[in-house]
Amino acid sequence: MTVLSIKNVSKRFGGVLAVDDLDLTVDKGEIVGLIGPNGSGKSTTINLICGVFPMDKGSIKLFDNDLKGLARYERSHLGIARTYQNIRLFGGLTVWQNVWIATRQNGIGSFAKKLGALFLRSQKSVEAVDELLDLFALQNKANIAAENLSFGEQRRLELARALASEPKLLLLDEPAAGMNSEEVQELRDRIFKVRDLGISVLLVEHVMELVMNVTDRINVLNFGKKIAEGKPNAIQGNALVQEAYFGS
Amino acid sequence: MLGASYALIALGFALVFGIMKKINLAYGSSLLLAASISVCLNEIFVLSIFVNFVTLLIFSVIINIYIERMCFAWHTGPAGILPSMIASFAIWMQLDELAFRLIPDRTHFFKGIELGSIEIGQLFIKIDALFHFAVAISAMFLLYLIMMKSKFGLLMRAASENANTAWFLGARISSLGISAFALAGLLGGLAAFLILSANSQITPMFGMWCTFKGLVAMMLGGVGSLIGAVLGGLILGLLEAFVLFKLGVEFRELATFGVLFLILIIKPGGLLGGKSFMLIQEIEERV
Repeated sequence: MTVLSIKNVSKRFGGVLAVDDLDLTVDKGEIVGLIGPNGSGKSTTINLICGVFPMDKGSIKLFDNDLKGLARYERSHLGIARTYQNIRLFGGLTVWQNVWIATRQNGIGSFAKKLGALFLRSQKSVEAVDELLDLFALQNKANIAAENLSFGEQRRLELARALASEPKLLLLDEPAAGMNSEEVQELRDRIFKVRDLGISVLLVEHVMELVMNVTDRINVLNFGKKIAEGKPNAIQGNALVQEAYFGS
Repeated sequence: MLGASYALIALGFALVFGIMKKINLAYGSSLLLAASISVCLNEIFVLSIFVNFVTLLIFSVIINIYIERMCFAWHTGPAGILPSMIASFAIWMQLDELAFRLIPDRTHFFKGIELGSIEIGQLFIKIDALFHFAVAISAMFLLYLIMMKSKFGLLMRAASENANTAWFLGARISSLGISAFALAGLLGGLAAFLILSANSQITPMFGMWCTFKGLVAMMLGGVGSLIGAVLGGLILGLLEAFVLFKLGVEFRELATFGVLFLILIIKPGGLLGGKSFMLIQEIEERV
């Protein structure tokens, strides 16, 4: 089953064609990598999926829902969650609160029910938050302000927060940036755990150690165009990809 | 015992300026205009006190939502602080002018709840003041619970910190902004009603009075701290009463601003606001 399908999408910034006629799909339970040199349109693709700016051409679908014209919060409600290249937590809130505000009620409730969810803590949401903090080894930091966490902990918290909205598709924008080899290993295990929850992942990453070991399929961009797609080992041997990266 | 009234007004400012981080200069005049409208309606239709109270609250909420739509909905994030502040300046003028038109004479009778006073030996206490104090304290606790514990308050704070990210978490920023200002309007309306009841009159200077006293009390106590706002209001009230008694009315404002000046030199974040000030500094250093 296809979770995300991007068809013929283009985006132009002034004279620069940031994304050029891109096709991309993510299936259920799949971890798809999106790599390419700097400025090749990876982040633009993520931003188009999230609706930061409108696309010029093409269509983006989540399951059968056309995302065209939907606001950012509506896309979030449909099941898209993301993390950022530069961490964006709510520093003044505690770790627990950061995750909790991202949880939401499933199904359509009455107005009173929605109002209640804004002011009261439901047992379900509390359990969900505790579970996520357990998964990301943040349980003992629950009451610390997010800005006082270490860099690695902040990255983990951002992931936990993204998962709190129970997404169908998780967009990871360079989650391994600035991590050492050991932390990359841990991150890989966590991404597998996310996949085991039934969530599809689109991973934008420069750290090859992570991309090659975690993804099922890799798409390579260069100058906004997709130049290759395939299994990690096939990509490693692809001449076009090597040319894009090393210019040889 | 003006202190309790100052504390009430300062709470509204602490919510708007400190927690929501919106520099809304029109807040004081929004209360003036809401009160003016309710006074006008009362003069035409002769309403009961309760209806008076409700109309004041409703108009205070409506005017604050109007301010949010006009000034703050368009400018989010750190880049929006200056434009939205200047826009709120313009709205301040507009609301003041409207209020002056509605109540052209200097003073108008304000029909509110009347509470007597009690004498305990030498001590002469107005029940108004005690009542204001009780309302200020309970409003403080309620606000604290809402802003620090409920998802609504946390989302509000999250959005004031980073609206974009809150958006991606599925928060409807626009309705959140409206609710935040409606809450501030409700609180301000309550404060205005209690204070005007105690004075049993309203003048067109009420808006300015709110802005100055509320801001000074909030800054004394510490920006962004609810407890600080109440504390600052009480200190300001005591200080004014003391100076009035010892030195006379001409020294009152001088002493007020002198003390504010001193406190801001010694502790730039206000009495309880040190932490939030340090945070701003820290953020600036990081950037």
